[in-house]
Amino acid sequence: MSEVDPWLLMTIILGFAMAWAIGANDAANSMSTAVGANAITPKQAVIIAGVLEFIGAYFFGKSVTETIRSGIIDLTRITDPNVLIYGSIAALLAATLWLVIATKFGLPVSTTHSIIGGIVGYGIVYAGTAIVNWGKMTQVVLSWIISPIVGAIMAFLVFRAMTRSIFETGDPVRSAHIWSPFWISLAAIVIATMFYNKVLHGSDLRTGVMLYGLPAGVVTFLVAYPLIKLHFPSDDPLVGVESIFKRVQVITSGYVALAHGANDVANAIGPVAAVYAVASMGMAGMKVPVPKWLLALGGLGIALGVATYGYRVIETVGKKITELTNTRGFTIDFSAATVVLIASWLGLPISTTHTVVGAVVGVGLARGVKAINKDIVIEIIISWFVTVPVAALISAAIFKILLLVG
Amino acid sequence: MQVWTKLFARSPFKPLIKHSEVVIEAVETLEKALEAWKRGDYEEMNRLAVEIDRIEDVADEIKEEIRDSLSSNLMLAVSREDILIYLHMQDKVADAAEDTAKWLLVKKPGKIPAEIEEVILQMGAESIKAAKLLHEAIVQMDRIIESGFSENQIKAEYRIIHEIEDVESRIDDLDTELMRKVFEIADNLSWADGFYILNIARTVSNISDKAKDAAERLRLMMKPPKE
Repeated sequence: MSEVDPWLLMTIILGFAMAWAIGANDAANSMSTAVGANAITPKQAVIIAGVLEFIGAYFFGKSVTETIRSGIIDLTRITDPNVLIYGSIAALLAATLWLVIATKFGLPVSTTHSIIGGIVGYGIVYAGTAIVNWGKMTQVVLSWIISPIVGAIMAFLVFRAMTRSIFETGDPVRSAHIWSPFWISLAAIVIATMFYNKVLHGSDLRTGVMLYGLPAGVVTFLVAYPLIKLHFPSDDPLVGVESIFKRVQVITSGYVALAHGANDVANAIGPVAAVYAVASMGMAGMKVPVPKWLLALGGLGIALGVATYGYRVIETVGKKITELTNTRGFTIDFSAATVVLIASWLGLPISTTHTVVGAVVGVGLARGVKAINKDIVIEIIISWFVTVPVAALISAAIFKILLLVG
Repeated sequence: MQVWTKLFARSPFKPLIKHSEVVIEAVETLEKALEAWKRGDYEEMNRLAVEIDRIEDVADEIKEEIRDSLSSNLMLAVSREDILIYLHMQDKVADAAEDTAKWLLVKKPGKIPAEIEEVILQMGAESIKAAKLLHEAIVQMDRIIESGFSENQIKAEYRIIHEIEDVESRIDDLDTELMRKVFEIADNLSWADGFYILNIARTVSNISDKAKDAAERLRLMMKPPKE
């Protein structure tokens, strides 16, 4: 299929651009709490985020990519390979454009929303609303609503449990000695279980918990417990616990970056993979495994986005979030990462941004954050509902033009 | 994403603490003014009274800033209304100090009996305690939020509030004692002097009254907001 090669090349470039935009936009999501709480410098954040986003995309990205690529519209209805190519280009271009426009206006939009909107947009233009897998679409929309709510509930509970286990006890310093390692170990369990699930493609959650999660948790506890016991940073539990979680936050933030890479690489690579299927198999709708090099390319794009544009965002964020302490940052990261990775394990495309925003509000509801701007929360919610139709409209327009020109 | 720079609003607690520091300064200056008054150093007393007026203006400025930044579109760990009323009360503490200063300025006192002077000075000293305790209380409120409303921190806050109430009640007793003394010697006192003394006592005891009202608001803040 040598005649589609230039198109494939173009799609790959667009996918790379989209990956760049994802990295540029969402870099702050994973690292902002750590930078905001002064756990790491913006420069360190960029390096950690870049590397982990890539690892996340490359190792963790597979199954979600399948979901985005083939789940939202019925690809078997697209018999003309050119349509899939034009469509993927339209979707990628629309999503990237919308991301760039939204970022310019400071609108917090989801990369996942953008690409789904783009895919749905061209799909409807081509084959009407019937092509959209509305069951899947409903599931996706529900997950947008559910993920911030679950993120909020999770963060609320984690925050309450953390304060109750440490600060509200009769001897807070003693409790901090025991419970800080416990919370750190819990984070380790989640990370290790998801590692099993995503990297080793294990499907049995129980095996993951037993073979990976629990051992990792126990090892973490055995390391963290004596360390914290010997080097508790202060007599004041408030100060001590914060400085412990300052270090832990680097790990949890990395975890969020990893999860973000795993989830959001699909937004850039999904449409490219669809075109790749056409290019390599000669027909649309075939299920082919997403090649590793495509994931690597997506990961590279995201990492590049983090490094080139994300740096500025992270730096600004680091200066502006002054009200966030390390335990709050940990709570938000831990809760969001867990929700995101569980969702990704279930194959649901969810947005890191939404989950993190949900988690921030959750900590706020637990009276943990001193002040949250309600207007911005409402603005975010509105943007969630606006993104899909807007991206769909842009994509539809580009698709029509491509059909006429191509 | 820029959402991060906008999502977190500036917390009103650090400015509240700053405001409280200015309030303490006003009350401390008043104590010095009262001492100068007792020494009969009216020049110094005048200077300090003018200074209190200036400090009170600074407190007002901070108050306005906090009010302007506390839009109803914030999700706060404590009720916005409680913060605004607290701020109002905390500012009233400085206002009360200024009122006393005004009374010190308007009239060069005649002969004030030493025992009455003594009571007024005691009231002044206790007022400083009230203002300082209130400062401690707002700093503790900040800690309560830092700790996620931990019971221990809340208990510590209750202790401070109780102390403020104790101080207020001591000042009330002193106020009553002073009134009694003024009427005991009413025959030897000019109408103007009596009026002057009683008003100074009233404004000084106002300092702790307002501190107590402010502390009451802190008590309410520790309960979850209604919204």
